[in-house]
Amino acid sequence: MRNVVVTGLGFITSIGNDQDTVLKNLRELNHGIGLHPGLQSDDTPSKVAGLIKDFETPGYDAEDWTYPSDYTVRREILRGLSPQGLFALCSAHQAIKDAGLSDNEVSNTQTGIYTASAGSPGCLHHHMNRMNERGVMRCYPLAIVASIAGTLSFNLVAALKILGSSCGFTSACASSGHALGYAFDEITLGRQDRMLVVGAEDGNRESIIPFAGMRALTPNSDPNTASRPFDKNRDGFVCTGGATTMILEDEETAKKRGATIYGRFNGWAQASDGHNVAISHPEGDGLSRAIELALKSAQVSAADIDYINAHATSTPIGDASEIRALQRIFNPKSGLKPAISSTKALTGHGLSLSSVMEAAFCALALKHGFMPGSANIETLDPEAEGLNVIRETQDVAPQTILSNSSGFGGANTALIFSKYGA
Amino acid sequence: MPDVEIKPFSAADETVLRDALKRCSPETLEAALTYRQKGDHSAIPAVILGIVERFLEPETRPRLKEANAAKLRLIEDLGIDSLTMVEIVIMTEETLSLSIDNEELKDLRSLEDVHMFVDCKIKGKPSPSKPVHVGVEEIYETMPHGHPFLFLQDATIRQNEAQATYEISGSEFFLEGHFKHTPVFPASIMLEAIGQLAVLYILKSDHPEFKGRSIDNTKIFFTSCDGVRAQRICKPKDILSITVKPKRFKHPLATFEGSITVAGEKAAFVEEVTLTFDFLPEASQTETEASKKLAHA
Repeated sequence: MRNVVVTGLGFITSIGNDQDTVLKNLRELNHGIGLHPGLQSDDTPSKVAGLIKDFETPGYDAEDWTYPSDYTVRREILRGLSPQGLFALCSAHQAIKDAGLSDNEVSNTQTGIYTASAGSPGCLHHHMNRMNERGVMRCYPLAIVASIAGTLSFNLVAALKILGSSCGFTSACASSGHALGYAFDEITLGRQDRMLVVGAEDGNRESIIPFAGMRALTPNSDPNTASRPFDKNRDGFVCTGGATTMILEDEETAKKRGATIYGRFNGWAQASDGHNVAISHPEGDGLSRAIELALKSAQVSAADIDYINAHATSTPIGDASEIRALQRIFNPKSGLKPAISSTKALTGHGLSLSSVMEAAFCALALKHGFMPGSANIETLDPEAEGLNVIRETQDVAPQTILSNSSGFGGANTALIFSKYGA
Repeated sequence: MPDVEIKPFSAADETVLRDALKRCSPETLEAALTYRQKGDHSAIPAVILGIVERFLEPETRPRLKEANAAKLRLIEDLGIDSLTMVEIVIMTEETLSLSIDNEELKDLRSLEDVHMFVDCKIKGKPSPSKPVHVGVEEIYETMPHGHPFLFLQDATIRQNEAQATYEISGSEFFLEGHFKHTPVFPASIMLEAIGQLAVLYILKSDHPEFKGRSIDNTKIFFTSCDGVRAQRICKPKDILSITVKPKRFKHPLATFEGSITVAGEKAAFVEEVTLTFDFLPEASQTETEASKKLAHA
């Protein structure tokens, strides 16, 4: 079987729009959460979100948007984008540059792209309203490709001239975990030599606010404490938009072109709760099975895992479920003490974006030899007793990392990465 | 009837217009306001140009300033794809307050085609690039010819050709003597039918040479023809399919290539048939246009 390595990263996230800034903020536990202009109405319980800086994407007329001058997006591309599309494209360009790939190395039959996004509910709503007002034949011709789930794939395949595999994944907050997992398979099965995996979310009012109605968002509007996974008094999550791109390559292909390698992607697995449409299994059943299968897939044991980037979003039920799953696999009585943290305390919860964003954080941790702490824990949830939830960043190089994600419907993915050369 | 009527232009309309054209040049907005407020058709080319320009990538925009910009092809030269075309159409519809069908777009190749199409649309004339069907009654009204010497029954006029049919009934007066025992449609009458279709083309098309002026249907005459070949004997019940293609137009001469087939078989061919034509005096044009439209209504 072929080995998969990580060779490029691109970030448009609440904690930075370039790798150096992201790395610094991860190490120093600087969060990217602030008052969100779209969430300031009186009836909005939480007024904070992870904020994307240096991009202004008000409304759905892409030609009104502004973005950093490092990027140029032609109108023929821009017109088909929702905000997440712009973030995604910029993160992809960043990752391609980071990986040192030429245009031909991106656009060839052996390079594909998998994306993760739930689509843009705000963009769809805007265009359907306009269509109803102005008439069917005056519906914006790019309305659908800019809005529906799959929008990232449509646009990025066209913009980057991708010739290999392409597909969009929709499993809510596990979407980009699935995208990474299937991209891994694509390479190990020999179908592709290289895969771009991109997750993105708008992070605007329409993509965030419906979670308030679900009572899933924290009512806390203090940016410094709103997102606090594993805290005893956590009361809901903070949302974020943005994008992350991770480039995966067959090890031999990467070595042949002299690529800088962040780490290995050793294996992955998934399992479902079969329990509730939106509530995770109270015992973390699906997630614990996903982890077991992932360890098997990666041919490592639970004892090999020294850092876990948890899914923990800061909801009472979700975090408890993950705590149970982790306790089942990494039983404190067995002496296993992998370091655990949730970087969502810093970024907010990126929904479809979160899994690839966090996998990219893991790649940075492997390359730079540190384990980011789990910020904002005032009182650790007593249920997590026995688990090594690290509250400060540790300058200890992890060898093998597990990254979890769970989505609506009880979809769970577990990804395993390890230090290159280890 | 024209497709577009100039309705009173309200403040609300102006707001919509300003919003629609917010990314066009100030000249485009000004031209659109001139058209919408005063019905001044001469402002339309600037509106179209401004809308097209707005959708071009920056590196392509300077091409619109080229001397021969009207000849620029939308796809090949300006990089406009079919989705951009729809964007242009929607903005044009909103700006000029008209509606355009998909079918109408198929033959638009160049900027010039677009100008002419929109101009015709607004003036309520058939678009040169859209096939115009001319039925038997309209042929009779349009042509200077009449019974028993009209050999067109049904015609379709396009910018680059006209087609018509004529079914030989057998009761044509000249078949009595041509020939005494066997009726054969005379080759000279086939040539006449080609000439008549050329006349219809001159009267119904919007050839650029006419510059929008109307043709006097009493001043079209045959001048010459070259390379005539008759290839098939045509008899009663045969349906002649007549085609003419304009070759050269320079007032007062119009030269066509013509041909006739019957059920796909070649029947006659003319390398060149040239007619002479003249315009109606400018002053009476509006009246004639109006009376034409009444007659067609």
